[in-house]
Amino acid sequence: MRQFAGSITLTFRELWAMKITLGLFIVTSIAWLMLSFALNLDVVEGSIAALRILGIEANPMERVRDPETGEWIRQALTLDNFVLGVNQFVFGASYIFGTLLGLFATMPLVAGFLERGRIDLLLSKPISRSKLLAGHIAGVWATVLVLISYLIGAIWIVISTKTGIWLPRFLLAIPIISVMFAVVFSIVILFGVATRSPGFALVMSYGCIFFSAILAARTQIVPQLSALGRGVFLTLYHVLPNYMEVVGIMAQLGSGDAVESWYPLISSILFGFVCYVCAFIIFHRRDF
Amino acid sequence: MHLETKPGAFDPARPVVITALGKTYAGAFGRGRVTALTNLSLSVERGEIFGLLGPNGAGKTTLLKTLLGVIHPTAGSARIFGRPVGNPSCRDRIGFLPENHRFPDFLTATQTMRTYGRLADIDASIVDRRTERLLEKLGLGEWKSTRLKNYSKGMMQRLGLAQSLLNDPALLFLDEPTDGVDPVGRRQIRDLLIELQKEGKTIFLNSHLLSEVELICTRVGILHKGRMVHLGSVQDLTAATGSYRIRVESPDGTSLAEWLEMRSMEVEPDNRGEEVFTLKSSSLEGLNAWIDRLRGSGFLIRSVDPGGSTLEERFIDIIERLNASDSKKTPTEIKRRSDPHSMQPAEDRRPA
Repeated sequence: MRQFAGSITLTFRELWAMKITLGLFIVTSIAWLMLSFALNLDVVEGSIAALRILGIEANPMERVRDPETGEWIRQALTLDNFVLGVNQFVFGASYIFGTLLGLFATMPLVAGFLERGRIDLLLSKPISRSKLLAGHIAGVWATVLVLISYLIGAIWIVISTKTGIWLPRFLLAIPIISVMFAVVFSIVILFGVATRSPGFALVMSYGCIFFSAILAARTQIVPQLSALGRGVFLTLYHVLPNYMEVVGIMAQLGSGDAVESWYPLISSILFGFVCYVCAFIIFHRRDF
Repeated sequence: MHLETKPGAFDPARPVVITALGKTYAGAFGRGRVTALTNLSLSVERGEIFGLLGPNGAGKTTLLKTLLGVIHPTAGSARIFGRPVGNPSCRDRIGFLPENHRFPDFLTATQTMRTYGRLADIDASIVDRRTERLLEKLGLGEWKSTRLKNYSKGMMQRLGLAQSLLNDPALLFLDEPTDGVDPVGRRQIRDLLIELQKEGKTIFLNSHLLSEVELICTRVGILHKGRMVHLGSVQDLTAATGSYRIRVESPDGTSLAEWLEMRSMEVEPDNRGEEVFTLKSSSLEGLNAWIDRLRGSGFLIRSVDPGGSTLEERFIDIIERLNASDSKKTPTEIKRRSDPHSMQPAEDRRPA
């Protein structure tokens, strides 16, 4: 246990020393501080009478369907919808940019870990290779979990305090974003261990994210394809992580709706699991 | 010396036992295979300083890393303290200093020792106690709180050595331990290694500095293209071979060259204005007869050195012979090339 903790601590220290943690912490703090000082609300009978962002007056209206006539009408934005909209925007942005930034930031860490002169010294210690790699991965996961919790938690507190509406279900974004980061990080670890090329590993992970955006449009794309194309596309859809579709799950959870399908999340987790298993096997077998 | 070892029961007198070890690096898609070690058998005895020598690419680092479980062997076996090298528990009592090691440069020496102490599963209080003592001993006491990015290469090397001793190892693997260290530091490291040997620790040393290997190693092995081509004590390797190097001065201007030429001998000019020749004689009587003759002819004897080779000379000689036999050159050609300073008087040749 001491060795595992030592491996995690080393990863923490490295992230801290590379100013990665500090940088993400500052960005996160700026985000919720801006939100807390820049946003001013006047609420009258559950609706927002006035909204000021950085002192600029905004006209918070929303389009809703009239239950009697069935026509679209504009009315004052309800507080519930405002909270929903802000949270979904913030969490969606955190999901995309947080993951991309997190991958970019942790890439030098993987490269450093596998560097000649460093990895052979680590492997010469009486610690198994699996434990060593697991400690390294756990260190990165833990750091990302702390930062995501800080960002989401702080913004949730600011919004809830300002509106008086406390919706704990929004906090489900923390485990979902963290898990999806771990899924994408598995690609970095797999290709990092297999090729020792951090650039290649980063390209592969970013490629998977952007490709998942194409896969997410399968209902529009698949009918246009030939039988072979359909087969290939659907195979990729089921094999690769459905990163973009998980945004939909977060939105449904946030709005309190029932989740239509957990499949994108489950298949992504399975993909990550397979990547980690492969990475451990390669790390165990390869010469350094 | 043990070249043959039986696998099985652990002999505490031999902490390292290697049997028919082989390592072949497979290239991509089975192409470009490189054989780094071939059928290598060796055992290292407890309490000895074993020096592993070899030209670049001979397989020294591969052997060292294989023993530490960093590289997987493709043939044979290696055991440390009776356990297979792939087993992490056999590294409990091992210290290792890799060549060109990299410590995270944002750490201080104390933090580095704590970090690697944890990874070696050593209790924090023991780590702190040993860190204090080791850093002091290796001349880093004043620098223990300085970040490693401000360390010189020699300081990093000393810290690497301190780290390798943190778990009070019974077996120490050192890959170029004095690389980048100044002469004073080298002397300190050498003394430390001798002190460790006296404490009963076994040291496996991989170094290009043959003069240092000669000073501290009890036994050396020479690797060439993945094979152990020589294994023996340093003394055996450098022992006198019945030749003497005689250095003379001629105050009256008599030329030693001419004097020797008259006796069918050759002389080797010396760049310090002295004249030197090497005499082969298996007996002291033969040597003294030559000295008497030289003195009788007015020469002053400056020095008489037993003509044993240095480790470096022997090493170069062995490697050049092997390279020559690889490229199908005749041994006489190589002998002439590798030993240019040797005169060729007949055995026991007496002065006229």
